[in-house]
Amino acid sequence: MKIFSVTDITRAVKDVLETEFPFIWVRGQVTNLARPASGHIYFTITDGDAGLSVVWFKGNQRAGGDGEESVNPLTGEIESGGPLELEDGMEVLVAGHMNVYPPRGVYQLVAELVQEQGVGDLKLAFEAMKRKLAEKGYFAEDRKMEIPRSPKRVAVVTAPTGAAIRDFLKIAEVRGTGAEIRIYPTLVQGDFAPGQIAQALDLVYDDNWAEVVVLIRGGGSLEDLWAFNTEQVADALFRSTIPVVCGIGHEVDFSIADYVADKRVATPSHAAQELWPRREILMQTVDELEGSLVRSFENYLNIRESQLETLQKGLSWLSPAQRIERLQASFAEEGQRLSRVADKFVTAKDTEALSLSHRLNFAFGGERIKRMEHDLSGLQGRLTRAADIFLKDKLAEFENASTSLRVLDPESPLERGYSLVTVEKSGKFLRSPEEVADGDAIRVRVKSGEVRARVTSE
Amino acid sequence: MKKDNKTFEERLDRLKAIVSALEQGDLPLEEGVALFKEGRILSKECATQLEKARNEVKIVTDGEVKDFEVDTEEDTADDS
Repeated sequence: MKIFSVTDITRAVKDVLETEFPFIWVRGQVTNLARPASGHIYFTITDGDAGLSVVWFKGNQRAGGDGEESVNPLTGEIESGGPLELEDGMEVLVAGHMNVYPPRGVYQLVAELVQEQGVGDLKLAFEAMKRKLAEKGYFAEDRKMEIPRSPKRVAVVTAPTGAAIRDFLKIAEVRGTGAEIRIYPTLVQGDFAPGQIAQALDLVYDDNWAEVVVLIRGGGSLEDLWAFNTEQVADALFRSTIPVVCGIGHEVDFSIADYVADKRVATPSHAAQELWPRREILMQTVDELEGSLVRSFENYLNIRESQLETLQKGLSWLSPAQRIERLQASFAEEGQRLSRVADKFVTAKDTEALSLSHRLNFAFGGERIKRMEHDLSGLQGRLTRAADIFLKDKLAEFENASTSLRVLDPESPLERGYSLVTVEKSGKFLRSPEEVADGDAIRVRVKSGEVRARVTSE
Repeated sequence: MKKDNKTFEERLDRLKAIVSALEQGDLPLEEGVALFKEGRILSKECATQLEKARNEVKIVTDGEVKDFEVDTEEDTADDS
């Protein structure tokens, strides 16, 4: 059997690999992206089962930039513009050749062109999971529990080493009024992480000791944080019996766990800030309350004092000697009032009696009889005078009427020789010659009889 | 006030209640003075409690609760 030196076998592999794959296209998802100061870009492309290291040297990145044109080796098309801005999770096509790096005995793909191939699988998986759980009501606001203020018993589900727990405890140190913090250790990255996280959470629920559970992890790539995007962890959070605070990665990172948790905070440090107020602020509250206590007590004593003064005044008012004095004064006053009222009453009655006796005398005394006799004789005289005047008036009236009557009698002129002529055919008195014609019969009435005649025209 | 197992929050609430009772001002004198004394004690106790407040950190492994010592490596998980 041939025994290779490391150099020999590495060189042999290098020869085979580089000869066999002088130019290849590989499709995968970018992870572990690193951009050191050198300007070269290092990353891994993965399809979930395998990973391939890629180096994209600075010189190759510029191809196609600065207005130069380059030929896309995949499509044969001419392209221009700057190099692709890579991001973790981006799905890319990488064109280049395989290369072995002997000092570390690793192989890598030396990229000559990197092209984006749509949204990465992880991002798609994330969005799909988010939609699915949203539909199941995992993110519903109305199932979120309120985070207790200043909790005394806090469970923390996280890795027992590393920055997350250290930051959390450091911030917690200067806050609150003394709490017990129990760490439920778990992996926070890798294939076993989701199961362990779920298990740790269930343990917290079963222990039924903590008031609140905190799920934290430091920053990392989308892949690093992937455990917090799994349904297994989401389910465990969903069945929580106590409020959950979730602080995963950096400010910008959002995980499915963040959406399911009752409270999402940006980082592990923020989780501690969310739970407890700073101790010096609590101290200030105590100082302020002590100030209020002293002020309100002084105020209270002042009120008591003025109440005492009022009561003392009241007490002297109620002493028996004072009371007798007050009663005597009141008695004297009442006596005076009584005598004034009596005087007034007697005077009023006197006046009334006098007035009544006047009225009585006036109504029924000799004066009145004399006045009545006088009235009677007056009335008799007036009656006689009135009767005389009445008779004279009537007599004169009668004579006047007789005279008028005489003047109005149509036959009275006949006595003095006048006559009345009547036209026979009309029966009317004759007043004008035109009323008669030749031969008309007329009747002439005189004082003592009538003469019949005819009209002639001579 | 005898020393008991009241929490800081319970003491603070009691202190607040005492202040507002004194502000009302219609308590019998003995009661008012007693409340003031109680308030002074409470505020001292609160201050002491804050000064002495420390978190106890434990780790739960294999169903046991043990003391936990944090490692002091100097990198941070986030920017805060």
